[in-house]
Amino acid sequence: MDGISALMDGELDEHPARHEIARLKNDPELRDRWDTFHLVGDALRGEPMMSAGFSAAFAQRLAAEPTVLAPRRASRQAKRVTTYALSAAASVSAAALVAWVAMSGPNADSMLAGRGTDARLESAGSTSGASAIPASVSIDGTMNEYFLAHQGFSPSTAIQGLAPYIRTVSATRPAEQGR
Amino acid sequence: MGKRGSVFVPFVLLGLAGAAHAADSAALNDGAAWLKKMATASRQQNYSGTIFYQHGNSVETSRVTHFVNAAGGEFEKLETLDGPAREVIRSNDQVICYLPNAKTVLIEERNRSARNFPALIPESLHGINENYKIRTEGIDRVAGYDCQWIALEPRDNLRYGRRFCAELGSSLPLRAQTMNEKNEPIESFAFTQLTLGGQFSRERVKSKYAEKSRAQNWRVDRSAFSMAQPTPADTGWVLTKAMPGFKKLMEAKRSLGGRTGAVSQIVLSDGLAAVSIFIEPMVQPQPAQAASHQGAVNIFKRVQGNHVVTVLGEAPAATIMQIANSVELKQTTATVQ
Repeated sequence: MDGISALMDGELDEHPARHEIARLKNDPELRDRWDTFHLVGDALRGEPMMSAGFSAAFAQRLAAEPTVLAPRRASRQAKRVTTYALSAAASVSAAALVAWVAMSGPNADSMLAGRGTDARLESAGSTSGASAIPASVSIDGTMNEYFLAHQGFSPSTAIQGLAPYIRTVSATRPAEQGR
Repeated sequence: MGKRGSVFVPFVLLGLAGAAHAADSAALNDGAAWLKKMATASRQQNYSGTIFYQHGNSVETSRVTHFVNAAGGEFEKLETLDGPAREVIRSNDQVICYLPNAKTVLIEERNRSARNFPALIPESLHGINENYKIRTEGIDRVAGYDCQWIALEPRDNLRYGRRFCAELGSSLPLRAQTMNEKNEPIESFAFTQLTLGGQFSRERVKSKYAEKSRAQNWRVDRSAFSMAQPTPADTGWVLTKAMPGFKKLMEAKRSLGGRTGAVSQIVLSDGLAAVSIFIEPMVQPQPAQAASHQGAVNIFKRVQGNHVVTVLGEAPAATIMQIANSVELKQTTATVQ
């Protein structure tokens, strides 16, 4: 597993890199992890989420052209999350982890580093493997009702008045466009 | 004389000790007092102004108008000034959102027994002290007014930090920030222009879409919350793990726009932040888990058996996710499912 992490971080010389790529090619479980690491990294860098078919497409591509798998230069942030992902990969589904990172944005690494991993470990839920990418961007227009139903109970609304309600109708929400 | 002196000395000492103790808790009490004053000002002051809302890389400007009539009725209007037009109108405890682009009206109603719930009461301030270090900071200037910064630093990483800058005369919060665990602002509100005072005017807090929406038959999504009993209703759902510092504020079955049946809502609060848990029957297939956020509000949705659990609140994603994952149907009422 450390080899995969080092491969992703571009820290391996040519020979060990070839070795890791060979392992990746032959081991579906390792491929899943590689998949996860890249999803996490992409989410951290704010790149668009990959489709649910990524895993299968990746496997095909890997089988056909192993040499395109040039080690990627990962950001420091991604590396720290990678370390976490390694420790948690056994019990956290890729999907839950990606959802986590996607919603936490660039601060996810410190959250993950600063807290016990128990919170995330519990999140595996019924999701199985990387094929079930959560719809982190497709929480649809129905969220508005929840916002409205929630806002009135918050003491911070009591302090600030109507201002927090702007979250309900915020233009950046994908919700309204869908309606 | 001598006799009198010996009587007085202990009194003086006692007085000094009392003063020292008072000075210790004065800062905290001062901060807590400001919170109360801000809540009262937001409810009772007449004001109108332009508010700047920033979250992530997005910035939005809105106009906010708040009036209280002679009977103490509260009327408030928020209209966005950039992007698609949107309006939020509050008349006492009814909140209506107009979304002209989507030709949709969202209504959230409360009956009178649920009015002004929750008020910022001393008990909840006690909760704030347990979960946040409250202190007053420097004087600043916002929208031309001098204001006092009040900071609430979380005692653990289950909650976000907050800062408010309250106008010195009226106590109205002119700036509000929510900070993550690195103390970076993740969401902020600030008045860029503000007029304090002014006469109540129904016209200025009316929606300009009220008639149009009726005439054009916009879609209306109505949600209602009523406290049927003085004691909270039992929804049949429980949290298997308590979230430290968060107490149950209320639990009820209610209606939610677009749903046919009742939806269970449980609200938790740590005195400042609130987290709502919604549980409803699953009517169409849903992703097993989904996450999102809007400003400082994190959202986590998951499928639990044949129900959907949606948790949202002004708390870190980890807190929201942990709460969502601890929601279970009570064993004894399992047949209800």
